[in-house]
Amino acid sequence: MDDKKAAILSEIPRLRRYARSLLRDRDSADDLVQDCLERALVRLDNWQTGESPRRWLFTIMHHLFIDQMRKVNRRGEAAMLPLEAGEAQSAPADQVETVASREIMDALQAISPDRRAALVMVAIEGFSYAEAANILGVPAGTLMSRIARGREELRGLLDDSSRRRSIRIVER
Amino acid sequence: MTQRDFTERDIHMALDGELPGEERMAYDAWLEANPEMKAKSVRYIADRAALRAALAGVMDEPVPARLRQAVLGEAPARAPAWRSRWWLSAAAAAVLMIGGLGGYVAGIGGIGREDGADDQLAEQAIAAHVIYAAEKRHAVEVPASDKDHLQTWLSNRVGLKLVAPDLAAEGFELVGGRLLPSGEHGKAAMLLYEDAKGERISLFLTAESSATAKGTYAAEANGPEAVYWLDKGYGCAVVGSLPRERLSDVAKSAYGQLLAGISS
Repeated sequence: MDDKKAAILSEIPRLRRYARSLLRDRDSADDLVQDCLERALVRLDNWQTGESPRRWLFTIMHHLFIDQMRKVNRRGEAAMLPLEAGEAQSAPADQVETVASREIMDALQAISPDRRAALVMVAIEGFSYAEAANILGVPAGTLMSRIARGREELRGLLDDSSRRRSIRIVER
Repeated sequence: MTQRDFTERDIHMALDGELPGEERMAYDAWLEANPEMKAKSVRYIADRAALRAALAGVMDEPVPARLRQAVLGEAPARAPAWRSRWWLSAAAAAVLMIGGLGGYVAGIGGIGREDGADDQLAEQAIAAHVIYAAEKRHAVEVPASDKDHLQTWLSNRVGLKLVAPDLAAEGFELVGGRLLPSGEHGKAAMLLYEDAKGERISLFLTAESSATAKGTYAAEANGPEAVYWLDKGYGCAVVGSLPRERLSDVAKSAYGQLLAGISS
């Protein structure tokens, strides 16, 4: 196996975690990762040696995610999905998921995809503002405001758990 | 040095490690002097910890075969397209309990073939084995040290009187077990065993079976193989990547003990 493929393989757990935070549903998240990997392999030549495989792969995945969200929005299904999917997932394998985990994952799904991506990229995946802004393709100021709003929104949702159940976010 | 005014924005920067080191002390002092801002900071830190905890498990999950294959470009050997997709859905069903598998197979682009109940059982057992036998720390829900509880719990859930077979003569020790979804509404018990070299096999048992059959089955050319049998009222598969003969010996021993347990 060549080095590039080995490097890509070793990023899969992180890509899966990021995808899961974006989409929650395990299968959909893995579908996103698979699309990302397939696209990455087609473009293997575009990957400059020395460029971090992580940044390169996250950039590809982010573009795919944004495309997907736009498509979903056009179909008007947007955010009906996250809360209900979250609730429907109380199947056996999710036993490991504590109430606190489920609550925060539900809330995360309810904030706008742009804010969700920015927040997760920095708070979970540990990218710097500069790196995250680069991956998401936005100016640093935009990234910062997405992170700040994302955090506020997330906290607001958690504060008002009674309201949480009835929230239906309408995406732009 | 003139101290700049801090704002809420700095709470985020501090949290994300973006606050310049030389401003840290002044920032901390500002936080102490502003209880409202401090409370915000504390909540955000807690939220981040909760998010990290909620997502931490993903990193420990074994990488699904289809993702590895996407990178390595290995088509599943000798697995027709519909088969590999079915296998994926089975792996998912073991985790998420998606509806009827037979219906799924039949539904794929009209090329599906309704599999027999025996193949379904074997495929499910293999899918579960692939997922959980690869887990180092989270392979089982109840460890062998709690064997009595394990047997009672799984028996109650699955609806069969289960006795975890003693496979010491075949070189395998019980690791523990877990509960899994099976078929449309059923449940299955999975018992995991390990030998001295760390080779693992699993027993997959379900009370959901109307057919009578037995045989061996492999989903992929080089993947683990299942030896299974179905009888009225229950089905069992022994899965592992052992030489066929050894797997068959283990299965025979397990079969005898399980049967004795169920009918006792």
